[in-house]
Amino acid sequence: MSNEWRVEVALDVPLPGTFTYLADSPLPAGTRVAVPFGSRRLAGVVLGPGAQEGDADKLKRVDAVLDELPPLPSDWLELVRFVAGYYHAPIGQVVATALPTALRDAAPVRLADARPWRLSAAGSLAEPPAARAKAQRALWLALVEGPLTREAARALAGQASRLLADWEAAGWLERVDVDWRGAPVAAGPELTAAQADALAQIGAREGFSAWLLFGVTGSGKTEVYLRLIEKTLAEGRQALVLIPEINLTPQLLSRFAARFPATPLAALHSGLSDGERLSAWADAWRGRAGIVIGTRLAVFTPLARLGIVIVDEEHDGSFKQQDGVRYHARDLAVWRAHRAGVPVVLGSATPSLETLYKVESGRYRLLRLAERAHASARLPAVRVLDVRRQKLAEGLSEAAVETLRAAKRRGELSLVFINRRGFSPVIACGDCGWSSGCRHCHAKMVLHLKERRLRCHHCGAIEPVPHACPDCGNVDLSPVGHGTQRIEDALARLVPGARVLRIDRDSTGRKDAWDAIYRRVHGGEVDILVGTQMLAKGHDFPALSRVIVVNADAGLYSADYRATERLFAVLTQVAGRAGRADSPGEVLVQTQWPDHPLFAALIAHDTLGYAKTLLAERGSAALPPITCQAILRADAPDIVDANAFLEAVRDALVPPRGVSVLGPVPALMARLAGRERAQLIVEAPQRAPLHAFLDAWRPDLEAAARRAGRALRWSLDVDPQEL
Amino acid sequence: MLNRLQLTATVEREAELRYTPAGLPVLEMWLKHQSRQREADLERDVACEIQAVLIGKEAPRWSGKLAGQQIAASGFLAQRSLRNPRLVLHIEHVEFVKG
Repeated sequence: MSNEWRVEVALDVPLPGTFTYLADSPLPAGTRVAVPFGSRRLAGVVLGPGAQEGDADKLKRVDAVLDELPPLPSDWLELVRFVAGYYHAPIGQVVATALPTALRDAAPVRLADARPWRLSAAGSLAEPPAARAKAQRALWLALVEGPLTREAARALAGQASRLLADWEAAGWLERVDVDWRGAPVAAGPELTAAQADALAQIGAREGFSAWLLFGVTGSGKTEVYLRLIEKTLAEGRQALVLIPEINLTPQLLSRFAARFPATPLAALHSGLSDGERLSAWADAWRGRAGIVIGTRLAVFTPLARLGIVIVDEEHDGSFKQQDGVRYHARDLAVWRAHRAGVPVVLGSATPSLETLYKVESGRYRLLRLAERAHASARLPAVRVLDVRRQKLAEGLSEAAVETLRAAKRRGELSLVFINRRGFSPVIACGDCGWSSGCRHCHAKMVLHLKERRLRCHHCGAIEPVPHACPDCGNVDLSPVGHGTQRIEDALARLVPGARVLRIDRDSTGRKDAWDAIYRRVHGGEVDILVGTQMLAKGHDFPALSRVIVVNADAGLYSADYRATERLFAVLTQVAGRAGRADSPGEVLVQTQWPDHPLFAALIAHDTLGYAKTLLAERGSAALPPITCQAILRADAPDIVDANAFLEAVRDALVPPRGVSVLGPVPALMARLAGRERAQLIVEAPQRAPLHAFLDAWRPDLEAAARRAGRALRWSLDVDPQEL
Repeated sequence: MLNRLQLTATVEREAELRYTPAGLPVLEMWLKHQSRQREADLERDVACEIQAVLIGKEAPRWSGKLAGQQIAASGFLAQRSLRNPRLVLHIEHVEFVKG
């Protein structure tokens, strides 16, 4: 047959590689298609012309071309190819991850065209509707005045949608392409010298440049972002802003919308329906959204006119995807900016060691905002309280309780930080030593007293609180240790009259929970907030006067080498809640290890100095980010099977010089949700040999996995964030 | 196995009523006993102190009413915890003794 073309299609199936299909025309790369696969019909994306070898009779035909959107752009295809290569993930799986859910189905999608209407040349000459057709006439006259959106038109005439469609069909109306150049921008606050200097430095460079915007809490990083976006929009280009899920609040979105009231903004986050996400995504891709703001997944948004990339809270762990395609959105953001030849700005008050290392090695440039933006706001005083010989009441020292009482008397808002939700992390029997272990995990079940349940925070298992010890029958079981619920209860007793509000994942689960919390806090209805690291993130509570850190010690001596880095970041962020407004704040940290260097750095607000110490430690231990790492994880109902798989693949290929394969070792959580877990750690001082080895290794992994059978699951994680 | 103690005593101190994680009420108290007993065919003074605990639906009914009162209690003995061998009387039955 003459009109027969072969195309290479990426499909989301658990098989490596791509698939060749026949098509009636040479479909361009990036076209979405529906194809038969086994007994199913799947959506795929054409990557290019198909391989010519092989018998055409054996090939199946493309079922349908799903072309309601233009083909995905070549830079997007380059991005997914890069992700597949760098993270050693099947290309079809990467494509499926990178597309909005609505585009993963083998069905056409409908996309509303949100562009406004205006009168065409023909329309301007046409007769307006007669005066007795009141609504029609009002709508027409409004169009004579200027372009109208669908919402504005609906407000004028009940049947606006039908009228607009009729008039457009008659050639009287046309769509207005979105152009935000010259759109109004609300005035911002006056810039501090440091903000102005940062903007000048970024503005002075052409093309790609990577910046770490290191600004202490409250130093006005967001204002720098807004000014950068303003400049980008003025050039008619788009800004991509990545933000941790927890920070992407309605308050933040309205701050952007208030600054750029006439610029279309596409927000991509988990709260959207599939349809909403698709239309925001499509607006970004068709160049109809000036600002695209979203969580890690937004890094895959195709942008027609990308002008700048901003990653806020770049140290945040949520930028790393922990299952499926294990990509890091911050790193991909830098890659995209590099490809597009535009600046990328990574902002944080507690930069990751990965980013600081790139600053040290000269690949990123450092911008500092060392002062708080409000001239009157100073960084809080941090005090470390040795609690080794103190008698604690419900985990709280006398000094902490007195501090809270005094703040309550002054009518100030305080915060008690305890990074553990629930009532107590374990219940135990004092008579025989039994404790509430999870039957599925290598972890304890946490007592949630309010619901009278034991819950495993790792696998989600829920059990009623046992009436008596299952081993010896003692009914007088004790809660051991402290969680947010217990501190909440204790404070109500220890600080008379205090109104205590708990903020953790349990109290903020409902959709409108944050609204209620903001209302209560800003309405002055709260004296003490008790919460987990949720509170460490960007929520702006007014006039936090005192911050108490109840128990920070778990992160000081952990088997996870990143624990101190994370603890320092979370404590700095929590401390940063204090003294934001005009009153100087105070932070009190209770610890059993007051001499740990982490606390000295915290008192001195010496983030960069402590990072240097940690980087030196990583260097002497040959750990990331000084070296490069990948982890091959395996789990099975029985550890023996996981280890057998890992040993087989370890022995299948001798790594080249400079690459070492260590293990198998048990995972930090050796048993999770009924599966036992082990891993191999692949390390190399250089990135290239590591990746070359992983490429060569992949067929061995797949062969060993086939031999191991269905009970075994495995995954490869490049640049892992968790052990 | 036998494990039974009957004791008439004054309640020296009574703790605040508390609840186990499963919601059972627990009332802890400290008992002081004084009496005359026979030993080797001679009368003698006896005094002892022991911690006691009342667990279950009876506990709220007695809470707040015991301090300073003389009671007759019976129950079994158990050590305070795995690491603390001091004995605690687990009360199964209690009544006031009219003085």
